[in-house]
Parts: sequence; structure tokens; C-alpha cells
Amino acid sequence: MPSRDAALEIKTLAQDPVPLRARASGDWTFHGLKERSEDFARHLVEIEKQPADRIAWDLTGVGELDDAGAVWLVRAMRGSQRVDVSQGHREILNQVGQGLLVPQEPERFDPLSGVVWTGEAAAGAAEHLRDGISLLGQLALDVAGMVRRPREFPMREFSAGIFRSGVTALPVTMLVGFLVGIVLTYLSALQLKRYGADLLVINIVGVGVVRELGPMLASIISAGRSGSAITAQLGVMRVTEEVEALSVMGISITSRLVLPRVLALAVALPLVSFCTDIAALAGAMLVSSFTLGISPGAFLQALPQAVEVVNFWIGIGKSVAFGFAVAFVACHYGLRVLPNTDSLAVGVTRSVVAAITGVIILDAVFAIMLRNIG
Amino acid sequence: MADDLDKYVIEIEGLVNTVGPGIILHRDLNLKVRRDEVLSLVGGSGSGKTQLLRVILGLKRPKAGRAHVFGVSWDDPNVKKVRDARRRMGMLFQNGALYSALTVYDNIAFPLRERGGLAEEDIRAIVNTKLAQVELEPRHGKLLPANLSGGMVKRVSLARALALSPDLLILDEPTAGLDPDRSEGFVRLIKRLREDHRFAVVMVTHDLDTLFELTDRVAVLADQHIIACDTLAVVRAMDHKFVQNFFGGERGRRALEHS
Repeated sequence: MPSRDAALEIKTLAQDPVPLRARASGDWTFHGLKERSEDFARHLVEIEKQPADRIAWDLTGVGELDDAGAVWLVRAMRGSQRVDVSQGHREILNQVGQGLLVPQEPERFDPLSGVVWTGEAAAGAAEHLRDGISLLGQLALDVAGMVRRPREFPMREFSAGIFRSGVTALPVTMLVGFLVGIVLTYLSALQLKRYGADLLVINIVGVGVVRELGPMLASIISAGRSGSAITAQLGVMRVTEEVEALSVMGISITSRLVLPRVLALAVALPLVSFCTDIAALAGAMLVSSFTLGISPGAFLQALPQAVEVVNFWIGIGKSVAFGFAVAFVACHYGLRVLPNTDSLAVGVTRSVVAAITGVIILDAVFAIMLRNIG
Repeated sequence: MADDLDKYVIEIEGLVNTVGPGIILHRDLNLKVRRDEVLSLVGGSGSGKTQLLRVILGLKRPKAGRAHVFGVSWDDPNVKKVRDARRRMGMLFQNGALYSALTVYDNIAFPLRERGGLAEEDIRAIVNTKLAQVELEPRHGKLLPANLSGGMVKRVSLARALALSPDLLILDEPTAGLDPDRSEGFVRLIKRLREDHRFAVVMVTHDLDTLFELTDRVAVLADQHIIACDTLAVVRAMDHKFVQNFFGGERGRRALEHS
């Protein structure tokens, strides 16, 4: 399409009552204006020196006129009545003129905004807590219902959940466990060697891994892996109204979506942390035999005496609680996602942060409660 | 050639399109859209209307053949040329495709801001003009897409598609999901906008009322290519199974009487 650049001629007629004549021609479009923005800025300065009624406008030479061109012209003409323009273009100019008249709402500073913000945050937190408690209650009711009608248990979702958050998590958790076992043993061995208490390394690493590190590593990695996946999945289901579709069909969201995920992680996480324990102890065994000269056979023989079995059961029990907590937090945040992309991103981030923090807090609570055991 | 460029906004020649592993969707497909017309694309479900739109929009690369929009192929190495051509077309997606995290105002302002070279004040004037053009009020600008009704989503995305004053507007099922009253209003709106701003329209539609009301020419997509591209009267007289099913029967007669 042949495009003629936008042009503006300004003539001065000294004797005339309307001394300035502005004649626009060419295509007044986004493109044309951008190319020649400097020229036009100069013209505008010249035009604005004169009162609006002393300039006559001739726009009959204008070819194409789009919004950007119209905005410029309307602003330059400042409501002048002496405008010669074709009917079609007059319509566009009028529309844009209306658009320019819409007042911009001033941004007001509210001195009480801090108070409002605090109040809203507190109300939001209270609502969060209330939703969480009601979800927990609903979940308890669902479990009771499932016990009475075990046939309705969503077995497929449950087993898929165990596979997804358990089996597929093994490589990464075991690798991390193995490496942490190596580092921990190496550091302890360095210190213990000085006191000649080499064999104590088995006690320290054994109890540390089985009771604390195994469950913690497994649940923190699960919070990042499975927790974020659960929140994102439920969040997208909210965005696409799949959650609403379930409730409309009379299917309980908690028993179909939340329960299988929470139970699956509560079952899978102890298994994952058991494997993590084994990997970490294998790392410990490897380092002990290299740096302290404790053979793997001696390590395995000393382990049951150094670490009481109750420590293992405490670790496994904590994993069940952590798995439940991670999946519960993830579901809670997933169901709170609003139907927009921003809310989804915020929901997933908060879910992972809350799950990890929650696991660490729970762990501290357990440590205090069980301090006299093992 | 220069003459052709002036006359046609879309030129497709010998297009071959596949889906999945080797299923041929289009074979030797030819289509030309003039710069001052409303062309409707009709075809049975599965005939590849959406895929053809995706080729026109440059979202899908054809297996073979030439697909030029404003005389530019989307594969053209000249990035500036391709970008300029892209800015000359607006697209109305079937479900609006509004950015859910942005307000209505910011959705419409988005292409203007990306375009560059406009002061925020000018953008505000244009956005308010566009809102008025699609019969919305400035106060609607503060809403988020999630708070809009179906008809409003359509109108806001039309405003966004028109923000850069395109020469070509592509509509995918513009009246799908609207009640008959609303869809009539929407058709009137597009008709009125075309009176002030002469843009070409390519639309895919199943709605015969919309078709009779708006279209200059109809392109029928069947048997893997465009079997006809002509005025409604000519196409309706064709002896082809799909055409007879689509326009014939009670539905077609009613829509014709209506218009």
C-alpha cells in the first residue's frame, strides 16, 4: 500500500483576521507520526503560541487517519471551530476528542492506608486460618465417611499420588541423602578423631540421620516437588473451573481431590524417608571406612547398638505427619487460587514456603515432645 | 506485483498443511482476501478452519506453499518487515485471550505501550476512545477480566484487537457464546466500526445470522482446500454436500429471511 508521510504546513497571512493557516496532508498514522515525531513537536510549540481561534485548519488533504494521528490533531486544534475536514475523519476526531475529555482519576494518598493494610492483612490471615481449619474438619469427616463406605475411596488417584510423589521422588532424595551422609560423617570424623572417639561417629550420624535428617530432607524436597505440583494442579483446575464442575456434579472436592493427595503423601513420605535414611547411612559407611578405618561390616554391627530402634520409629512417624502437612498445605493453597495467572504464581510460591516452614516448626514441636525418648 | 499488494491483504497459494504424523489437512489451498472486504471462512468441523487461521496468524508453519499477509511471509528474515506486518493486524480470539493479571484498561493499553512512541497521556485518550467505540464506559477500565461477562470479554478483546488501528481484523467465532441479542449487537458494532475505519475482516463463524449480516464473500473449506470463494448468492447455489447442509434447510432459510 503506498504510504504518504504525514506532513503539516503552516502559513502566516499577516493581514487576515485568522493569521495562521495549518494544512495537514499525508497519512496520519502511528507509523507516520513516529517517524517524524521531532518535526511535529516543533510544529506543536509554534501552534501553541497562538490562541486556538487564530488558526484555521485544513485537513482535507489527510489520507489515512488513525487514533494516534487523531490524538495529535485534536490536541493541537484545542477545540478550534475553523476546521475543514471530511465527514469520515470528523467522526474519528470526535471520538478521540471524547476519549481525551475523560478525566484521569487522581491518585489520592490515604494517611490511614497503613492501618487499613494491617487490618486487611489480619482479616486475611484469620480467613486463611478459618479455611484451613474447615478443610481439616471436612477431611476428617471424609475419612470417617470412607471408613463406612470403603468402596467410594478414590483408589486410582491415591495410587497415582503414591507413584508420583513417592517413587519418582526417590532418585533426587536418595542422592541428596547420600551426599549429606558423606558431608556429615566427614565433618564429625574430623572432630572426633582429635579425642580418639572415632566409634562415636556411628552414634552421631546414625541418630541424626534416622531421627532428624532423613525425614527432614525427604519432606523439604517433597514440599518443593510434590507440594508445588499439587498447588499448581488444583490452581489450574480452579482457573479452568474444573473444581466448580466437580461441585456442580455433587462430587465432594475434599474427598475427590484433597483426601487422596493428602493420604498418598502421608503414605509415600515415610517410604521415601526410609530410602533416604539408607542412602545417607551408605554415605556415612563409605566415609567411615576411608577416613576412620571402620569397615562396613563393623559399621553395620555397631549401628543397632548405637541407634535404638525407637529412633527409627520416631523418624517414620514424623514423616507421616510431615507428608500430611505438606500435602494439606499444598491443597489448601491450591483451592484458594483465584482465576488469574498472577494468583496462581503467588499461590504456588506461598504454598512451598508455608509447607517448608510448617515442616520445620512441626519438627521443633516433635523434638520438644519426644525429648525424653531414645 | 505492487498492484497485487495494494489489492490483497492475504494471499495464500498452493498451501499444504499437515497435523500430527503425516495427516494432510490442506492440499493445494488457495485464498486471496481483498483489503476492503469481509470474508467468512466456513467449513465442517475438522476441516481445518482454525489451522488455516493459525497459518495466517503465523502461529503455524505450513508444510509447503506460500502464505503472505500484507505481502510479507512470516518466515521473512527481515524482522522489522514482519513486525510491521504483525502490527497491521488485530486478532479476536474465541475466548478473548485477555491477560488475566491486567485490568481492562491495561489490556487495551498493552499493545499501545509495546508499540512505543506514544506518551502515556495519548495512550489514555486512545484507550478511552476504544472503550467508547465498543460501548463500554471508562469505569469498566478498572475491572479485571475475571469480573467481566462473556459479552464484555468479547468487546474488550475487540477493543484490544483494534488498539493499533489494524488494516486487517481476524475474528474467530466472534459471536460464539453470546445470546442472540448480544451477538446481533456485536455484529452491528463491527459493522459500524468498519464504516469509520476501513479494515478488512476475515472471520470463522458458524452463525448464519452473523454471516448474512456482515460478509461480502464466503470461502468454503472442504475436501482439503477452498472449494469456492465468492458472494453468498453464488456459494449458496453450489451443488456440494457441505454447502447444501450448511446453508440449506430450515436454519439457513430462517437466517436469510431474518436478514
